[in-house]
Amino acid sequence: MIVIDRLCYQSKLRYINASAKFVYAVLTLILCIASRSAAAAAVVFFVNIYLTVAKGGIPFARYVKFLLVPAVFLAASTAAIVVNLSRTPLDAFAIPLGEWYLTGSVSSVLEGLRLCGKALAAVTCLYFLSLSTVMTEILGVLKKLRVPGLVIELMMLIYRFIFLMMETASAITTSQNSRLGNRDYRTRLRSFGGMASALLVRSLKRSGTLYDAMEARCYDGELKVLSEDRPAGKKELLCIAGYELLLLGMAIWSWMR
Amino acid sequence: MKKQEKILVKASVAIAFLFAVTPTVNAMHIMEGYLPAGYCVAWGLICLPFLAAGFISLKNKIKTNRKNLTLIAMSGAFIFVISSLKIPSVTGSCSHMTGTGLGAILFGPASVSVLGIIALLFQAVLLAHGGLTTLGANTFSMAVAGPIIAFGIYRLCGKLNVNRKASVFLAAFLGDVFTYCVTSVQLALAYPSEVGGTAASAVKFLGVFAPTQLPLAVIEGILTVVIVIGLEAYAVPELRNIGFLRGREAE
Repeated sequence: MIVIDRLCYQSKLRYINASAKFVYAVLTLILCIASRSAAAAAVVFFVNIYLTVAKGGIPFARYVKFLLVPAVFLAASTAAIVVNLSRTPLDAFAIPLGEWYLTGSVSSVLEGLRLCGKALAAVTCLYFLSLSTVMTEILGVLKKLRVPGLVIELMMLIYRFIFLMMETASAITTSQNSRLGNRDYRTRLRSFGGMASALLVRSLKRSGTLYDAMEARCYDGELKVLSEDRPAGKKELLCIAGYELLLLGMAIWSWMR
Repeated sequence: MKKQEKILVKASVAIAFLFAVTPTVNAMHIMEGYLPAGYCVAWGLICLPFLAAGFISLKNKIKTNRKNLTLIAMSGAFIFVISSLKIPSVTGSCSHMTGTGLGAILFGPASVSVLGIIALLFQAVLLAHGGLTTLGANTFSMAVAGPIIAFGIYRLCGKLNVNRKASVFLAAFLGDVFTYCVTSVQLALAYPSEVGGTAASAVKFLGVFAPTQLPLAVIEGILTVVIVIGLEAYAVPELRNIGFLRGREAE
């Protein structure tokens, strides 16, 4: 139903120790954001694509589509950073508009490009995590990080309910469509609203039955689920440690410069 | 449903989502990696008191009645699903609701802060909207600031005896607009303009995102009204359960 979730279950990296993958993704992300070097961003970008596509077996075309998801945001905000409205032209470019100029400086253009690269590299870190580690395992890692039990439990239930709700939502939408529910814009809005309210009502009813079912199975304030333990290989850990040290070195070098 | 039909439905949803990942007009999530490290940490810290308040309120709700656990989880899933579904938009591009205005009206701003951060985390990991490092900033704009304004306006309109539909519309619309303003300011603080500093930068960000965000806010307002009307028509007992409509009964 959710494309990323489905691809994640098919990934060849799925059975690698979840903590190792989580630590790899988050550390790389932090170092990528913290460092000022464009080379580090490039390394992170290509290594992550290699890991996710070549090692993980995620179709490349799909991956490119995911990379384009934040494209609108990226283009719009970078334009806002680079372009200035000023009475005096700056050095990179200047388009006259009457007495004013749409203008930008060389340093801001370079800064904008570097920001784009860094953001895309960071995005590949996020995609590595979401395309290799299933949500239930991420929750297991969060539990180890001492996130409060109530939050974990809520997340687990919410993750389950998302799919129940989406199934209901798509069934309602299908039946609305077959009854001319999106004939024009007005009916489309009404159908969406009707679908959402029916969805909430049905889900609330369902939550009652679900609670009864849980109680019938001896629920007493704590959800217990089995988690499989897959110890991390020494080689993987060494690779991750070496890679992170390399990135740390690049980051420190970029700060000193 | 027969097995074949089930497969058909699933396939159609998968196709729908395939289209949904081509350039989308989202509610304004700051993308992964777009904020400098210091700002990520700072916004996270600013969110902490709100999250703590929300956490305590949820905990108390569950303590008073354990059945509330599944109810709260359903509400959280509802916020996520509503924000992940494609809404009808005028331009043909696909856009999504934030759903937080509706959440604030239905469940109250305290619960929405915790449910919102969970929904945002799921959006980042499952839908690639937003990100992990920008989670703090996005939580502040979408799960704290927007819902508080929406809830405040909704209550204020209730006190001033404004028409119910109008007050729901105003709450959802202004909640969305406020979220968009806060996000623009967040970006401006991180990237002040060379000419004119932070204020000029904020104006630029507001201007750049206005063409997508303002129509979206109007649509969100209209949809929220339609949803609330639908709920009031045939779900009064359930709504009373989650605390909505309680205010009106007292009047």
